[in-house]
Amino acid sequence: MLVLRRVTLSYFDRAHPTPVLEDVSLEIPDHQFVCIVGPSGSGKSTLLRIMMGLTAPTTGGVLYQGRPLTDVNLHAAMVFQSFTLLPWLTVQANVEIGLKAREVPEEESRRRGTYYLGKVGLDGYGEAYPTELSGGMKQRAALARALAVEPDLLFMDEPFAGLDALTSANLREEVLTLWSDHALPVNTVVMVTHIIEEAVLMADRVLVLSSRPGRIVSDLEIALPRPRSKRDEGFDALVDSIFEKIV
Amino acid sequence: MSVERKAPPWLPLLAGLALVAFLGLLLGPERALHLARGVARAPHAQDLLPAAGWSMLRMTASYVASLLFAWLAGYTAATRPRAARLILPLLDVGQSVPVLGFFPAAIYLFVTLLGGGRLSLEMAAIFLIFTSQVWNLAFAVYEGISTIPAETRAAVDSLGVRGVLRMRALLLPACIPPLVYNSILSWANGWYFLIACEIIVTGKAQYDLPGLGSMLSRSLARGDLALATGALVTLVALVVAIELVVWRPVRAWSQRYRYDTQVAEEDAEEPGFRPLALGIPALLRPLRALAHSLWERLPIPALNRAGARVTALLLSAWRWARWPLGLAAVAAVVFGFAGIVHAIRPPWPPEAARLPLALLLSFLRIAAAYVLAMLWIIPVALWASDHPRQVRGLTLIAQIGASVPATAFFPVLVALLVNRFGGMEIISIALAMTGMQWYLLFNLLGGVSRVPSDLRESMRSLGLSRAQVHRQLVLPACMPSLVTGSVVAWGGTWNALILSEYVVYRGQTYEVLGLGQMLNRATFQTGSRSLLFLSVALLVATVVTVNRLVWDPLYRAVSARYRLET
Repeated sequence: MLVLRRVTLSYFDRAHPTPVLEDVSLEIPDHQFVCIVGPSGSGKSTLLRIMMGLTAPTTGGVLYQGRPLTDVNLHAAMVFQSFTLLPWLTVQANVEIGLKAREVPEEESRRRGTYYLGKVGLDGYGEAYPTELSGGMKQRAALARALAVEPDLLFMDEPFAGLDALTSANLREEVLTLWSDHALPVNTVVMVTHIIEEAVLMADRVLVLSSRPGRIVSDLEIALPRPRSKRDEGFDALVDSIFEKIV
Repeated sequence: MSVERKAPPWLPLLAGLALVAFLGLLLGPERALHLARGVARAPHAQDLLPAAGWSMLRMTASYVASLLFAWLAGYTAATRPRAARLILPLLDVGQSVPVLGFFPAAIYLFVTLLGGGRLSLEMAAIFLIFTSQVWNLAFAVYEGISTIPAETRAAVDSLGVRGVLRMRALLLPACIPPLVYNSILSWANGWYFLIACEIIVTGKAQYDLPGLGSMLSRSLARGDLALATGALVTLVALVVAIELVVWRPVRAWSQRYRYDTQVAEEDAEEPGFRPLALGIPALLRPLRALAHSLWERLPIPALNRAGARVTALLLSAWRWARWPLGLAAVAAVVFGFAGIVHAIRPPWPPEAARLPLALLLSFLRIAAAYVLAMLWIIPVALWASDHPRQVRGLTLIAQIGASVPATAFFPVLVALLVNRFGGMEIISIALAMTGMQWYLLFNLLGGVSRVPSDLRESMRSLGLSRAQVHRQLVLPACMPSLVTGSVVAWGGTWNALILSEYVVYRGQTYEVLGLGQMLNRATFQTGSRSLLFLSVALLVATVVTVNRLVWDPLYRAVSARYRLET
């Protein structure tokens, strides 16, 4: 369970505060797939970074499993839009770097790296360098890197935005499959997106942020049965209603 | 031409003053330098290898020192914005100051501190080479760390990577491409100053710095042409060999550490040398494997804990010592200031009255050398623009020309020209020209090769003649490169003044009135500390002023107007 209590965040430019997030409170229970949508500049990514413990809120606090978060949450992992693999490490070394940070023994680290590369469909690419991979494969590797630390929480910041339509549709399916795979440790997923269809397709719950400063203006259950498709009854209506809340 | 940074405008001034002040503080009574007397024996051919060894040793020592300092300064500036506001302007000043002008002062300082022995000369030389290498390396570290994409940084942090592992996986690799690129520049710079130091010292001292530069000037002074040629050939061979065996492969390897998103603007100048990049030679491979395995086996957790402890200790020490240290710094500045005032207070030696004229004459000499260099370089560049295939070859020549220290040719030129063709005045201008021409050619060729060929063809198809294309397209398009090259060339030549205006050849001193001459006389002949400081201060003030008032605005104006959109 992840709890945000009255989180605000302001940037200070010459002691003149610019509010980015204002009074955000929410609870994310285990086993939920949450999407955050909102216009650009609404602080979606910032909110995600606060949940991850990368950015400290100006006021308010984050509780993970009842305890306040003061640093990067080591039970969580994050996937970014720009893939963010280190170009000088092999794919395998990239995937293992979080394990190194956690002082996992070398054998075990190797095994887990290979296992998760397999899970995302990158068998045999361990010794390649990121520059040799296509965009979709890079994002798969980044996903494997996040899964390899066996996180309870998985954060994703527009993970499909840098990919072409076909690749992103495929990867979307796979993320859903991985999430529902009980062999994987990931319990909860929080994903930022600006594509409303994507949110409705994937999430149990959609949070809508207002434009700057970001505030939660709407918190919706998506009760459509899974697996979903854009042709499902009620899909368009949901998308339209969320769209209206944004504009 | 770094990005504009916000800094208090008084800071560079203060830093310059503090530097001079520090020197002033430590100096004793006025005196001419008498360095310790060893018996300088006639150089022999079997001294060539040891001489090369000594030169390499000096280079390596100062390069390693530069790297360490650069890492500390660059890392601090990149990770602490408040420190950056202080460090970056200081580096900027350091970069634009003509360091060779400080060599007499540095000898003065180290001789005063350590006595007149060989050690003091070595320290002075290493210090000088260090100051010629360190600034752009520090900027490279700063640039490397601060251009890591924000998301990548966040991704690494989100994986819980920190401490030594973070340094190893994220920060160090990110610094490698700019650091290698700048190391090549710094290394070339270092040769230039090393040779200069060795030559200057041989001029006056009984006890010299053994090295290729001193050997060259000493054997020429004795009229031993064979040995002088040997020294020169050894030097050129050494410089080119290091370029080929070390820097080229290292540079190719460093490309691995580049982010996709970064534009490889330095690569534009790459043509020509590729076939000569030999790959890491077999000799270096075991070394590399050893380093790699050590690197892999770093006991990261232990190092992290140790690092955290040291940091905590340092931080608490700093908190405790902040005020005393600050006070001490202020006191040092005040004392130093008093020292300078004392040192340069009137009555000035009668020679001081000639300083303005000396400055003017030095300036005119550099200007003359600049014009002369342009007279052959612009036609060559224009010719190259019509013969794109020749650009590679020419670039290669310019590259080698720029990497071989021009200072090494000074004694040769002197030996050739002395007592002929109008004497010292001509020599002085010729020396200045040797120093600056390669940078100009190199940069101009870069500019020429960046003119898009379809633009040129479209001009031709509009019926413009070749000369018109040159005037309308090629020259304007080269303007930014020309200004960049000019800044470097002028900067280098201010440095070279100290060598080019005062030459000792066969026991006789040849000199022309100029700032470089004043510096030399103050150190070695009259021993006038006030004159030494006045000259250094005037030189620094001139160079910094010219940079701020002429080159910076010119560069901005030219690149705004003449940049080709690509």
